[in-house]
Amino acid sequence: MSDAVLTAVGITKSFLSGERTLTVLRGVDLTVKSGESVSIRGESGSGKSTLLHLLAGLDSCDAGTLHWAGSPRTNAARRSAFLGMVFQSFYLMPELNGLDNVLMAARMRGRVGRRERDRAQDLLQRVGLAERADHIPAKLSGGERQRVAVARALMNQPQLLLADEPTGNLDEKTGDTVIELLLALSRETGTALVLVTHNLAHAVKTDRQFEMHEGVLSPVAGR
Amino acid sequence: MPWSLYLALKQLFPAGKRFPFFTAISMAGVMLGVALLIVSISVMGGFGREIRRMIVETQGDLQVRAGTYLVNVEAVAEVIAGTPGVTGVSPFAEGVVMLQHNNLPAFPALQGIDVERINDVIPLNRYIRAGTLANLDDDSIILSSRLAYALGARVGSYVEVYSPLLLEKIKADEIMLPRELEVVGVMEIGHQSLDSSVVLVTLRRMQELYGLGEGVHGFSVKLAAGADPDAVARALNQRLPAVAPRTYARSWMDSNEDFLFVVQLEKNMIFFLLIFIIVVAAFSVTSSLLIAVVRKTREIGLLGAMGGRTRDIALCFCWQALIIGVTGTAAGVGLGQLVLHNRNHIIATFTKLTGSEEALVRFYEFSNLPAHLSSQDFWLIVGLAITISTLAGLLPAWRAARLEPVEALRSE
Ligand SMILES: Nc1ncnc2c1ncn2[C@@H]1O[C@H](COP(=O)(O)OP(=O)(O)OP(=O)(O)O)[C@@H](O)[C@H]1O
Ligand SMILES: [Mg+2]
Repeated sequence: MSDAVLTAVGITKSFLSGERTLTVLRGVDLTVKSGESVSIRGESGSGKSTLLHLLAGLDSCDAGTLHWAGSPRTNAARRSAFLGMVFQSFYLMPELNGLDNVLMAARMRGRVGRRERDRAQDLLQRVGLAERADHIPAKLSGGERQRVAVARALMNQPQLLLADEPTGNLDEKTGDTVIELLLALSRETGTALVLVTHNLAHAVKTDRQFEMHEGVLSPVAGR
Repeated sequence: MPWSLYLALKQLFPAGKRFPFFTAISMAGVMLGVALLIVSISVMGGFGREIRRMIVETQGDLQVRAGTYLVNVEAVAEVIAGTPGVTGVSPFAEGVVMLQHNNLPAFPALQGIDVERINDVIPLNRYIRAGTLANLDDDSIILSSRLAYALGARVGSYVEVYSPLLLEKIKADEIMLPRELEVVGVMEIGHQSLDSSVVLVTLRRMQELYGLGEGVHGFSVKLAAGADPDAVARALNQRLPAVAPRTYARSWMDSNEDFLFVVQLEKNMIFFLLIFIIVVAAFSVTSSLLIAVVRKTREIGLLGAMGGRTRDIALCFCWQALIIGVTGTAAGVGLGQLVLHNRNHIIATFTKLTGSEEALVRFYEFSNLPAHLSSQDFWLIVGLAITISTLAGLLPAWRAARLEPVEALRSE
């Protein structure tokens, strides 16, 4: 258990929608080991994004426990160092250029020096955008923006990367390259990856695959 | 630099944008408010100071006045001069007379001054425009400029002076001739009502016209620089009863209290009203920042997802308001100074366009628009403007802080 990056046990979450409560997650258990990649598939509305938000400590669960690297502290102060997130719609700061968007992650931890700059530049190089570092997001294509977002998520050398349908807004070919990049980078840096995707071809590339169905997470048999 | 400040700067002045339009509009509101305040308060301050200067320069720092009049002039003058802080004493006698020149009458206030000592207290020489003070003797008179103009008198003219005493005697059927005095000087103080209503003669001539004998009505007193007129007045009031009963010293502030109060009140009212321009500008800062919060909902959610604390996210919008406040205020100070620097040009152009030059001088009593901004007023304006516009950031900051990252990220 000691090298478990993420341990979630019995995660339950329901939302109040009008009169009735909607139970979205029903006792989800998930353990992700260091450096491991995991994919979660499931139909729309099955609760994948909700689970990811809970794993990221952005929302609190109704029941269940969550540990980051063995510690139950899952607050904002720890988040920036512990995990990085990638979303379907990139969420880059429109007023910052590519490099500054990547550096923003370091900035929020309070340090931006020579080292951080070099690292951000390296990451951009690694995602193939070294030449576009000073372009603002509006001047980048969707795929390029997502690559910047990936670089940003890795900036603080997190132990865990959470990706919520990172290819959802990209065409197939671009999506493929982004997924390749995500997997390669997380493998290189030893970052654990939780990838939510609709794409079976992407899902099978991860070490372990899960399926979400009506709030229940189950491993895909016959891996 | 904390990231909240960094992001605030970047949001106000985004990379790749030559002119930050939203920021400029918000700033312009604050700038105009501050500029208007600076100009108005400076002009009010200028009037105030001009008035004070005029009071001090024409009355001295303080005046000692007898209940009726004093005869032991030298004894009292000695007591006054011996009081710490006093550097000059000059006796005076005053009263209204009728003046006639070319059959044109006027009823100015006649000041009898001690030619030897007057310059110790009042820089009269500075105000003489024609002729000289040195030529003033018992058979001559100095007119103020507007009065001289109204009567058509100039240096070398002779004017007839009728004192009340003289008129009394005429009523009693005595045949009396008015005093004929030669105009030896014309003075201009720069204040219209003084320039049309004051004439100077020697103390002896005044005593004779009013039948005072050796008596005077009081003394104008000059104080050392930095001496507190009120304090010296109090000290004098301790000493005076011994030599001159019912004779009191009053500082210029004290004797013009009502007037100065009105001047101060007027300035405060203008300040109070104009501050609302900045409040209005602050509202526009609030609304533009609120729009930014709504527009950036998802980015704000992302900041949370990246580990940004609610406090820092709120702070980011407070910074933006502060930056708009500071830059807007700085620009406003600049614009205000520019307008003040060119104020006489601006007024000249304006009056030329409207043909109202005469009215300006008539109503405002100054030939040049004075301006003076005390550092206290300056910092008050700057401080208030920055404070108010910073407060404008609180509502957007609160809105941003209330955004749950999860909700924000879901709002696609
Ligand atoms: N704050 C909320 N209030 C009410 N209902 C919510 C809330 N958040 C999520 N839900 C509901 O929870 C269910 C799961 O949503 P979620 O976004 O996790 O699905 P998903 O699996 O990510 O779907 P998709 O593949 O379309 O992204 C949905 O039915 C959604 O309406
Ligand atoms: Mg989803």
